[in-house]
Amino acid sequence: MAIDFSSPGLRILPAELPQAAATPAESSAEGTFGETLKEAVGNVENLGLDAHYKVASLLQGGGADVHDAMIAVEKADLSFQLMLQVRNKVVQAYQQIAGMQF
Amino acid sequence: MSLFSLFQISGSALNAERQRAEVATSNLANAETTRTAEGGPYKRHMLTFNSQPASQFHLLLADSLGGGNTPPRGGVRVGSVVEDNTPPLQRYEPGHPDADADGYVSYPAINPVQEMVDLMGAERSYELNASAVQAAKQMIQQSLQILK
Amino acid sequence: MSLLDNPVIAALSRALDLTAQRQVLLTQNVANIDTPGYHARDIDFGQELQRALSSAEDEQGDQDEAGRPALVREVPGLVERPDGNNVNIDRESLLMGQNQLQFQTDVALLRSEFSRLQEAIQGGSTQ
Repeated sequence: MAIDFSSPGLRILPAELPQAAATPAESSAEGTFGETLKEAVGNVENLGLDAHYKVASLLQGGGADVHDAMIAVEKADLSFQLMLQVRNKVVQAYQQIAGMQF
Repeated sequence: MSLFSLFQISGSALNAERQRAEVATSNLANAETTRTAEGGPYKRHMLTFNSQPASQFHLLLADSLGGGNTPPRGGVRVGSVVEDNTPPLQRYEPGHPDADADGYVSYPAINPVQEMVDLMGAERSYELNASAVQAAKQMIQQSLQILK
Repeated sequence: MSLLDNPVIAALSRALDLTAQRQVLLTQNVANIDTPGYHARDIDFGQELQRALSSAEDEQGDQDEAGRPALVREVPGLVERPDGNNVNIDRESLLMGQNQLQFQTDVALLRSEFSRLQEAIQGGSTQ
């Protein structure tokens, strides 16, 4: 899984994920997970940037209010956790399938 | 609307009320001062309060822009400290060193009761604004609770 | 993700914004309690909150509403003293206390909502 360190949020590039897209049996399950994951990643980035912006303007003294920044940070944090959980599930599913012996 | 601006607003009020108290105290202390460096009796001092502009125009503008990033200041400041030009009280005391040719001494036109009332008013307002500072502090601390 | 675009969080967030705005106005009123000619100002908290709640329920929530400060007007029905000032000390103290409590409550509710989401997310992790 390639991780891009150059951007503010931790990004896991979805293109690297579906190595298991080979077999047709998995592709339907992969579609659902993949889409959810892509959505999650997109959200993480947006919320992360928003939180970043609000905290910065709070520190600069006067734009955002403390509670705005807190809420933005919490939302970003939760969406990141959500994304991690989804990713874990995808990896688990892949490993289960890859581990099957015929 | 930033909660941090509250400290500035209340701070301005604390400052203004303190000056008001100082002026009242000074007037009280000098209620019987018949001779000053400028000659003549002590002149009562008064001060004026002005609110720092939070004009309707500003409010309307902020409202129509929708973003409203610049909250109106809305604090208070002391406009000026002026001398009261009420003519001094004349009392007939021929033996007094500051008596004029007719034996009258000029005393400052200060009513101690009025100054006391003013002083108490300043104190009460000061307390109010001090608790406003506490309120602001509490609210900001509470918002930190959002993150546990 | 619909999980995080939750109307409760949006409504509470807006309520906190309104409460903060009100606190600024109340503080200004108290600061100007001795300023000649100053008239007390406030927002219509109940009405603004109502608007926030109803637009939160509406799925196509009006995004513009979210960030806007509420309309500030002069408080009606106050008596003007001889120097032109109409700030009523009791009103301001009472409302300030109420406002603080409002803020505290909303923070607690928000906190519990976030905890709930956290649990929902973490819930399936042990398998």
